[in-house]
Amino acid sequence: MTATGTSEGVQRMLADMREGVLQGRVPARIFNDQEIFDLERDKLFSTAWCFLAHESEIPKNGDYVVRYIANNSIIVVRDEHGNINANLNMCRHRGNMMCKSEMGNASHFRCSYHGWVYKNSGELIGVPYFKEGYEGQLDKKQWGMIKIRIDTYAGLIFGTLDPQAPSLDEYLGGFQFYLDIYLRQGAGGSEVHGPPDHWVAETDWKICAENFSGDGYHTPVAHQFGFHLGYFPSSGATHSEGWAVHIPDKGHGIGLGHTPGMPPFFGYPDELVEQMRGSLSAEQIEVFSKTRTAVGSVFPNLSFLIQPFSLVPGEPGVRFCTMRLWHPIGPGRMEMWSWCLVPKDASDEYKEAAYKAYTLTFGQAGTFEQDDFENWTRVTKAAGATAVRDVDFPYVMGLERPRLADFPGPGYAVSPYVTDTNFRNLWSTWLDYLTREA
Amino acid sequence: MDEDSSEHGTAEQWPAGGALLDEVPRDGGVEGPIVIANEFADVVVTRVHTRNGVRLDIWSPRRGTRVQLDAVELDCLSYQEPETFTEMLERKPGG
Repeated sequence: MTATGTSEGVQRMLADMREGVLQGRVPARIFNDQEIFDLERDKLFSTAWCFLAHESEIPKNGDYVVRYIANNSIIVVRDEHGNINANLNMCRHRGNMMCKSEMGNASHFRCSYHGWVYKNSGELIGVPYFKEGYEGQLDKKQWGMIKIRIDTYAGLIFGTLDPQAPSLDEYLGGFQFYLDIYLRQGAGGSEVHGPPDHWVAETDWKICAENFSGDGYHTPVAHQFGFHLGYFPSSGATHSEGWAVHIPDKGHGIGLGHTPGMPPFFGYPDELVEQMRGSLSAEQIEVFSKTRTAVGSVFPNLSFLIQPFSLVPGEPGVRFCTMRLWHPIGPGRMEMWSWCLVPKDASDEYKEAAYKAYTLTFGQAGTFEQDDFENWTRVTKAAGATAVRDVDFPYVMGLERPRLADFPGPGYAVSPYVTDTNFRNLWSTWLDYLTREA
Repeated sequence: MDEDSSEHGTAEQWPAGGALLDEVPRDGGVEGPIVIANEFADVVVTRVHTRNGVRLDIWSPRRGTRVQLDAVELDCLSYQEPETFTEMLERKPGG
């Protein structure tokens, strides 16, 4: 059932978890454990579609960024003909890393070890001492960089290590409807505003992915300053209102917080709202116009949040959007990428205001970010403690809650916003991957 | 492929360290030098006036090579396919 080398204890825990999740129980141990980390690397991240980059990070020919799937370093580059390519960041000669910079622009990559040169699309073209040394025995066509399968949705570039994986479209399974609130802000869509914030955190990636699958529950407590000081247009009295939606068996989930009496599309500039009325479907407009906060995760580890936030307490909020990648680098340890997404067609003034609101809240110095990571790091530490190894956490909120029959969007929707419904689907899907036959 | 410096331009063409920038005329509205660099190479580009015209000087300090291109050569570069540069690197990948 699980990989060779997985202990009986972990195999039993995962077997018990199958029924446990349905009953609302998740073992703490999964949030900080070497064997779980190894299984995730080998069975989850080796087959899922994983986020690599936003197309607007590589707008010009030769632009590249270096990203990861599990422990694989990957160059994502726009080649000299404008096509997007992803290749392992490794010279085929002796395995040296090709790009040491996180981002740059190059028509060709040249290895710093023996000098093999590749087109930025990955073909090997230059070999020092080719005639004198190899004497016709090296077929350059066979020794290009190793290609990674990629596909895109609305500017997002995903990659998978599994040649047999279903299409990205099938993988997203209808979640595109909700992703559009982040990716189609206005007629021209969304773009990144500057490079991402990037740092290491002593936190398990899954805690973050779960939180961003719609944890509205923590907001009035962990981020109470936002409520009390007038930064955040919600109140404890009504904060539970809204919807939680997930795509069954796919793991994707979103929380849609609603504030009673808030004007439709509050926090967006008027001209952007007009554009969205033309570029979004009637069903999307019905859902998004009522949404104060949209906090969602694409399984496994890409998340988004959009919400209004006041730059000065008490003033009307500015709507900002963050996209974040929780990249595991060890049990209870991750690398964090956080981007600010802005509507491409918005005014520079609005983009700057949205970026300020993003920076005030997210990124390594952001108030919300610090609130969250303080908690998440302690959760991670607890999950790795010996006395916690056999402890379960309760995931029973909304266990009996009926599915909304008339919700305009796809997926399994419930109300109110505050519920564990999305998380149970997340953990069931995670379990599907970890217990799948190789 | 070819590591012989004589094929890249002879040492005699090179001013002593640091002297090259002094050679570049600074009057007449010359802008530069401009450094074009990525993690694989770095070059210094300047506009160089001759008695009767102007050339673009491309200097690779790390490699110790230099070329001065006139308008016809630069014009020619402007309509090359990317593959042309790939072929140049194929012939002399450098190191």
